[in-house]
Amino acid sequence: MAIDGTKIIHAVMEGSRIRESKGIIPLFGVYLSLFSVQYYNRVSFNFEKKIGPARAAEAESLLINAAQECGYATFQGIRNSWEWDEIVKPMIDRQEDQIMGFAAVAVAFGWGDLKVQKLIPNEELVIRVGDSYEAKGYLKDYGHAASGKCFMLRGVTGAFMDLIYGESYPEGCFTFLATEPLCRAKGDPYCEFIARKSPRKNLP
Amino acid sequence: MVPFDWKRELDRRDHQVVLFGQPIAIHCHHYNINLQKTLEDTLGEEGIRLIYQSAEEAVYCSLKTLLAQYREIKTVKSKLEMCAIMYQNCGLGIIHPQTIENSGGFVISSSSHHVTGWLAKHGRRDTPGCHFSRGWLAGALEAISGKPLGAFSVKEIKCKMMRDKECLFHVEEH
Repeated sequence: MAIDGTKIIHAVMEGSRIRESKGIIPLFGVYLSLFSVQYYNRVSFNFEKKIGPARAAEAESLLINAAQECGYATFQGIRNSWEWDEIVKPMIDRQEDQIMGFAAVAVAFGWGDLKVQKLIPNEELVIRVGDSYEAKGYLKDYGHAASGKCFMLRGVTGAFMDLIYGESYPEGCFTFLATEPLCRAKGDPYCEFIARKSPRKNLP
Repeated sequence: MVPFDWKRELDRRDHQVVLFGQPIAIHCHHYNINLQKTLEDTLGEEGIRLIYQSAEEAVYCSLKTLLAQYREIKTVKSKLEMCAIMYQNCGLGIIHPQTIENSGGFVISSSSHHVTGWLAKHGRRDTPGCHFSRGWLAGALEAISGKPLGAFSVKEIKCKMMRDKECLFHVEEH
């Protein structure tokens, strides 16, 4: 059975309207918050600028790693939640379908219109996003970029593969790393993320 | 009673999630706390200031738009009530701004997303850690009082991340 993204979106939208008396939204095994994309973009892009051009690669790597660790823990929580069992699991026929389910949750979270373009089990995942809030925010506030700016989505793409093909949780994080060869912030028509095995992780 | 309909205001525009017509992202405590820790560990005080100012600016813009849409919310008291509802409905926690006036005062928070997330991931800390909430409160008060960004400063006197009973914020006008 194909993954029905609209069911997942419906569950997230309904669930995110329910919060307990402490003002916390516990959904899909994690605590959710709803906040302006402007905040996340300001934090990421100003962090990069404050670190400075000489350390740009370090800033990029820190932001991607923070997102990948987060994606790894978040989607581990999500796939072990009762909501996943109720809503998504019945739509999963094979291991690879989990990635479609993860992408549908990311769409439901407002991260962009993620589409899985290619999945070679245990080798490569290609995700395309036509409207990433990171790329859009960068273009709006800073103009054209020289390199990809979707640090969060890049980390999350790696995390999707880590969870399916890496060692058992929590040992498998960073088994895969993603690149972003195309980004709307650079003037490309869409953002594209390619996760492949990390050479770092496979060193003896 | 604040008149807005939360269920109607939290909506979707194609793949975007919008709140009061503005794009938002749903993120979990893992991401929010990872970002905070990355900024604190890498930039120290400058990273803390970046979290504060980013939250301040974002909520200031959101509330300006919201207040323009709901002109029937007029008094400072009802605007503060609206802020507390918004904070809670966004999953950010509970704030009690009862002792706030135009020029400042104190805000108590009995529960927060960032406290819950920080304690779950890293346990107790030795310094106050609600930088996001401080910025959020500053931006909200600036929008409510019609003052410019940076008009208020918010300090955290007590913090649940340090195992205080509640978070206590002191708000002061510059």
